[in-house]
Amino acid sequence: MNNRTKCLLAVGVMVSTITLAQNRTPAPAATTAPAVAAAAKPAAKPYVSPKTSWGDPDLQGWFTNLSENGTPLERPNQFAGRQLEDVKGDELAAIKLAAQKQTVSSFAGPLHAPEDWWQVDLNMVKGSQAWLIIDPPDGKIPPTTPEAKARDAARADARRKAGHGPSDSWEDRSLYDRCITRGLPGSMMPVIYGNSYQIIQSPGYVAIRYEMIHETRIIPLDGRPHSSPAMRSYMGDPRGHWEGDTLVVETTNFRDEDAYRNANGATLRLIERFKRTAPNTVKWAVTVDDPMTWTKPWTFTMPLTMDDSQPVLEYSCHEGNLGLRNILLAARSEEAAKKPSK
Amino acid sequence: MRYRLVQLLTAALVGVVFAAMQLSSAPQAASYRAPRAPDGHPDLNGVWQALGTANWDLEDHPAQAGPFFQLGAIGAIPGGQGIVVGGPIPYKPAALAKKKENSANRWKLDPELKCYMPGIPRATYMPYPFQIVQSAKMILMSYEYASSDRVINMGKPVEAAINNWMGTSNGRWEGETLVVDNTGFNDLTWFDRAGNYHSEDLHVVERFTRLDADHINYEATIDDTQVFSRPWRINLPLYRRVEKNVQLTEFKCVEFSEELLYGDLRKKTGN
Repeated sequence: MNNRTKCLLAVGVMVSTITLAQNRTPAPAATTAPAVAAAAKPAAKPYVSPKTSWGDPDLQGWFTNLSENGTPLERPNQFAGRQLEDVKGDELAAIKLAAQKQTVSSFAGPLHAPEDWWQVDLNMVKGSQAWLIIDPPDGKIPPTTPEAKARDAARADARRKAGHGPSDSWEDRSLYDRCITRGLPGSMMPVIYGNSYQIIQSPGYVAIRYEMIHETRIIPLDGRPHSSPAMRSYMGDPRGHWEGDTLVVETTNFRDEDAYRNANGATLRLIERFKRTAPNTVKWAVTVDDPMTWTKPWTFTMPLTMDDSQPVLEYSCHEGNLGLRNILLAARSEEAAKKPSK
Repeated sequence: MRYRLVQLLTAALVGVVFAAMQLSSAPQAASYRAPRAPDGHPDLNGVWQALGTANWDLEDHPAQAGPFFQLGAIGAIPGGQGIVVGGPIPYKPAALAKKKENSANRWKLDPELKCYMPGIPRATYMPYPFQIVQSAKMILMSYEYASSDRVINMGKPVEAAINNWMGTSNGRWEGETLVVDNTGFNDLTWFDRAGNYHSEDLHVVERFTRLDADHINYEATIDDTQVFSRPWRINLPLYRRVEKNVQLTEFKCVEFSEELLYGDLRKKTGN
């Protein structure tokens, strides 16, 4: 039984405690994206994606982005004035190594998941980017709108008035802790394990499978309109089309509960671009557009690496969610212990 | 000469009888040639759904009252003809007792109550649609219920790495039919809401055969030597969802099961 299999046996246990903070460590960025590299060297022929038998660009396979774990979304201030593709080589490797050490040491306390569940596979040193946001050029999320600030304040106020502690009920825990969803783009943001994805195509459809929690998106390519505004969902309503060799997916109709970074679920649009830039690389870029939340759209990018050794395995997150029961049980036990004895 | 004629006639008659037996157990249009997928095999792409009441009970069952009188006719259990071919499910005696116990406790024990993954073959006839995305090497079956899915490996067969909810599926084509061999199951799923169950030794061989533009004949042979005295078979049609722009609707039922699963651990107010 390999390590990944062991992880899956232990599904759902303490999901909340083993999630790596996406923004905790400056991460390493790697070499220039292949497409950019090709453009910089006019002599090299640009990579041409293989095609399916019916003529669509072929993105099919198993992918992982395990080594992109821990890369900060925004450009760390230490890189002010620099471009993503300029941070590479030894400099990038040193950043990634430091990030890996910090990640391991952050699990040094007495309570954490067994190390062999995850440390064996942790390989942030191979990470390819020092940060994720490529637009705006300063690598920072644009300022939020007044509506967004008011919405955030109203939500915080509602939470305060409800007077709930962090574990009064399952509803006080995250949708991730509850094994409901990581939403979008969350489902493809690497965490401590379960960073495997699969793309399967048929004429008129692209399907993307996400191991963590287990999500399947089926994206129609036939130009049909989005569902009505009444049809809101955690994973949204995706529509795709090809622009040359790039799969462009526009997803709308999100539920407010998991709309990315507290966006407005009804107005949020995520535009994903998937392009095969090398035999084993699909570049994934996400443009986040919600005029009710940010003053302008912004875009981040991350490579997915084709890797047959990392197939999507069944993650029965909810079925094995002892972690959530134990969190609630611990909170009730703590309250009982604090009660004055009669 | 005469003997040979008799022999031929006998052979023909046997053939006809066998064909008739096939027809009687399945709405099979033997001669239908399905449209082809790009790889030349029958095209199973689409959104499909079972009708009928197999998810209530694989076997014949009359209509019954439901457990909550407040739901009136909405909560009643519809009756229906079973989908088991050739008689009752051949349980071993001890297993039949367990099935009856399951059935008596169905409103507490059915994994569907808890939004657990449905397993195979139950995923196919849950009262929700599923979508097939068919490529040459992999065939995805994505089920609306519980966002569950499985991928059928059409390449070199792989062994199950671990027992799990949806099993490990290896597929092959036999002419017009997709044959899927499934092993590697845990013993936590049921076949229906009536408590029909299996052990970890479950082995399911499914056969998907297009009947015409909008129907698939679905057959599954179920074998589990711990629970059944012999292999047995279910058979039902799958119907294409033909609505314009039809798509699966998200059904993340975890949040509908949490009060049931964790309600005892909610903080009591006012004590």
